[in-house]
Amino acid sequence: MKLRNKLTSQLGGISVAVIIMSFGSPAIAVDDGARTYWKQRDGTDVVSFQYLNLNMQATDSQQFDPAQFIYPNSDAEANIMLASWAHHMTLFNRASLFAVNVGGGSVGVDVDTSFIPSDLLPPDITPGSTFSQSASGYTDPSVQLDINLFGTSPLKSTVDLLNYEPTWTIDAAVMLALPVGEYDGNKLVNMGLNRWWGRLALPIKYHFGVFAPGYMSSFELTPSVWIFAENDDFLGQSLENDPLLQLEAHLTQDFTRTFFGSLDLLYRGGFQSEINGVEVGEKLDIGDLGFTLNFQASDNLYLRTTYSSNVFGDDKLNSSLIRLQLVYGWHRLTENSRKLTTGHH
Amino acid sequence: MNTKRKGLSVISVLATMLTLTLTAGAMQVNAEESLQSGQKNKRPNFLLIVADDLGYSDLGSYGGEIKTPVLDDLAQQGMRYTNFYVSPTCSVSRSMLLSGTDNHVAGLGNMGELAAPNQVGNPGYEGVLNKRVASVAELLQDNGYHTYMVGKWHLGMKPDQIPHARGFERDFSTMVGGGSHFDDAWNIEWQIPKMPYTEDGRPVEELPKDFYSTKTYTDKTLQFIEEGRQDGKPFFAYMAYTAPHGPLHLPDDWLRRYKNRYDEGWDAIRQQRLSRMQELGIMDKDVNAADRLYFMPRSTALTPAVRVMQGRKMELYAGMVEYMDDQIGRVFDYLKEIGEYDNTVVIFISDNGAEGNDLRAMVAGQPGSFGFLHGMNNFAEDGHNSLGRKGTYAEYGPLWAQVSMAPFRIYKGWVSEGGIRSPLIVSGPGVQGAGEINKQAILNITDIAPTMLELAGIEHPASYKGREIVPIQGKSWKRMLSGNTESPRASDDWLGFELFGNRAIRQGDWKISWLYEPFGTEDWQLFNLAEDPGEQRNLSDKFPDKRKELIALWDEYVKTNGVIIGNRSPFEKARKALPDPVPEDDSYPPVRGLEALPYKKLIQIMSGNTEGK
Repeated sequence: MKLRNKLTSQLGGISVAVIIMSFGSPAIAVDDGARTYWKQRDGTDVVSFQYLNLNMQATDSQQFDPAQFIYPNSDAEANIMLASWAHHMTLFNRASLFAVNVGGGSVGVDVDTSFIPSDLLPPDITPGSTFSQSASGYTDPSVQLDINLFGTSPLKSTVDLLNYEPTWTIDAAVMLALPVGEYDGNKLVNMGLNRWWGRLALPIKYHFGVFAPGYMSSFELTPSVWIFAENDDFLGQSLENDPLLQLEAHLTQDFTRTFFGSLDLLYRGGFQSEINGVEVGEKLDIGDLGFTLNFQASDNLYLRTTYSSNVFGDDKLNSSLIRLQLVYGWHRLTENSRKLTTGHH
Repeated sequence: MNTKRKGLSVISVLATMLTLTLTAGAMQVNAEESLQSGQKNKRPNFLLIVADDLGYSDLGSYGGEIKTPVLDDLAQQGMRYTNFYVSPTCSVSRSMLLSGTDNHVAGLGNMGELAAPNQVGNPGYEGVLNKRVASVAELLQDNGYHTYMVGKWHLGMKPDQIPHARGFERDFSTMVGGGSHFDDAWNIEWQIPKMPYTEDGRPVEELPKDFYSTKTYTDKTLQFIEEGRQDGKPFFAYMAYTAPHGPLHLPDDWLRRYKNRYDEGWDAIRQQRLSRMQELGIMDKDVNAADRLYFMPRSTALTPAVRVMQGRKMELYAGMVEYMDDQIGRVFDYLKEIGEYDNTVVIFISDNGAEGNDLRAMVAGQPGSFGFLHGMNNFAEDGHNSLGRKGTYAEYGPLWAQVSMAPFRIYKGWVSEGGIRSPLIVSGPGVQGAGEINKQAILNITDIAPTMLELAGIEHPASYKGREIVPIQGKSWKRMLSGNTESPRASDDWLGFELFGNRAIRQGDWKISWLYEPFGTEDWQLFNLAEDPGEQRNLSDKFPDKRKELIALWDEYVKTNGVIIGNRSPFEKARKALPDPVPEDDSYPPVRGLEALPYKKLIQIMSGNTEGK
């Protein structure tokens, strides 16, 4: 039996989307997002709330996400809310960040089974029919640790922050998701993946131009490898996958002191699935292009929106992502300074 | 044998003494001859380099930590002078520099932009280099010199007032007092939003895209000399750099040259400079430096972050100074390459004290004003990492200015030593005493024009192009440069200063000054600068006769030069404009270094454990 929910992994990808936000760099959904790995002073906390709307249409039998067959002539839509908390700190005398992410929402799929072999259908589905299925609940929560390897000193103080003018930086990031999201082994669509999964990433960025509000520009490249454990309850069968290889890139530019934009690219490949030790489907080959706009509404609050769509790679799949994000960041000193300057004493 | 050897020894000693005596005499004669022969055979070139708002102690050869190897080397080849005076502000100094006369005579009795109502329209207050004087460039040009100018003119911008009309055959110069150092050319004054430039007497429509003031001025100087040198005529090149005048601007690759160099704060840097000045012999061992400005805190009272932010401005300033030094090196290299360096008299000065006034606030004015509108449009960028780039307006403020003017008091605009003392390096043919420091001579910026004229063998005329001109007031340094005298002035000679209503007289070691509050008392104060260069001890009560004597000289100065004390002054409200005094708190236990005392140490000290100190 093969896993048939073409959305689950994508949603898994959403929950994977570790929020590594800075004051000026709220992050991501499916991808990490632009300016995700920018550093903040030790002790800075950031919370993020994002709404994601995913739409997908498949025109052929193509595997497009972890361990899935995508059903021909199927449509899917997911609406997800993600909440994240990130904390900037120094670890091993390196600028670091720890993040926790939780998410939830709903997903629905409409499938025309006319062209689907019967052995790939759930037992209760009649071949040749059209069926709908949905799921709702929590996605798999995740934690992530990011450590700078090269390019900047830890930002332990305001002085360090003032002296922070990076050019090349290289980080190492590791993420681990916990298989506690909503999962029903008899359903096509689920919110969780029912297996441990994680990611190793090497975020690289180059800052060019002036590292000052209103002038900042960056090129960011994050190669990463996703690793999934076995799902031993995939419609009663065992599901395994090769690593998923991902390359994410952003070209960001400040337009004003409070407004920046980014051109986004996300490519995913590899990830051959095996059901009970037998290869199924094809490897992934998906390329998305998109853009992000980020507006700083106040000292603490950032608003961000993203749109992306797959425009290269496998041409039998169409998908699009709309993301609306709200990011709120704070640091104890900033807040106390505000108390001193605006409070009544 | 012994006797013979003894006899020979005596003869040897006598011969040596005779040789030394003759050599010493010959050296003086040679020095004179060197200058004379310069006139007869090949007259010397003059390279007059004027920095803009450079402080007294900024150069390495004057005790500064800023890297200035080219000028330091120049100082080793030539002489440094420690008692060289300029005017408190730039255009005023430039009028004196080019005319050799007092500013109240030459047309800059006040800065044109700041003239008081009762001064406007009076002779000497034209606000431009007037026609009562002939510029040294005019006289040199008429006597066979190529005359070139780059940089700040600030002495009038009408067709008959610009450099080309006042003796410079070639120029690339800006007509106004300050503004962007880049091609955007924003002027600091909204009345003339863009800095007007002229090149060879014609207005420059647009600056080249790669314009950076110091670099472009240097390029132009080299171009002018190169293009004019075929006829073998000597040249006078006036390099009026606009660095390090605010806004503090630097090319990107120079922005972080002094990164974090000044994080330790102004007190430490100033103390280091004072120590080096003493080591170098610029200042006496027991120099009595001016107190920290009363409204500025000691740097250890500032948080490290604030010190970094303040230090960034000084980093930019230092970068501009080093950049200028580097560019001056290009000129020297070129002159050596074409074989003219050894025949070039190089004079390096600043135009006034370092800038400690908040010029940006002064010109930007209040919200709603045109100045503010101009500032909003053109100088609004202020991010910590943006500073120094196009569109920003950074100044380093009063205490860094006081560091630049160590050990003196106050800064640009005032007639205290911090406003009017400048470094002076002179090197070139006939300049004796390589590497030495002359602390005796009291010199004035008006001396430079007569010095150049005399070295070029030119008499200052009584009339010029059909109009009567005033005599030069400055004293030629020719005899001093050749080592024949310590000073061009007699002991009873004196110098007078007046700008914005502040006034001063210096005679010998004595100085009286009248300054607006809060820096002054709005009455005459008397100082002995030999003992008190920081002007900290008012000796009026102790030496009332000397005070009276100098006040009489002031009266003479007013009469001789037609001084009109303005009925308005930019400093008349200085007391209100400046911040409140900062308590001089040496708190217990003392804060040391850059960080506050750890609590454990505090407990140790409070417990009487002296090891904790």
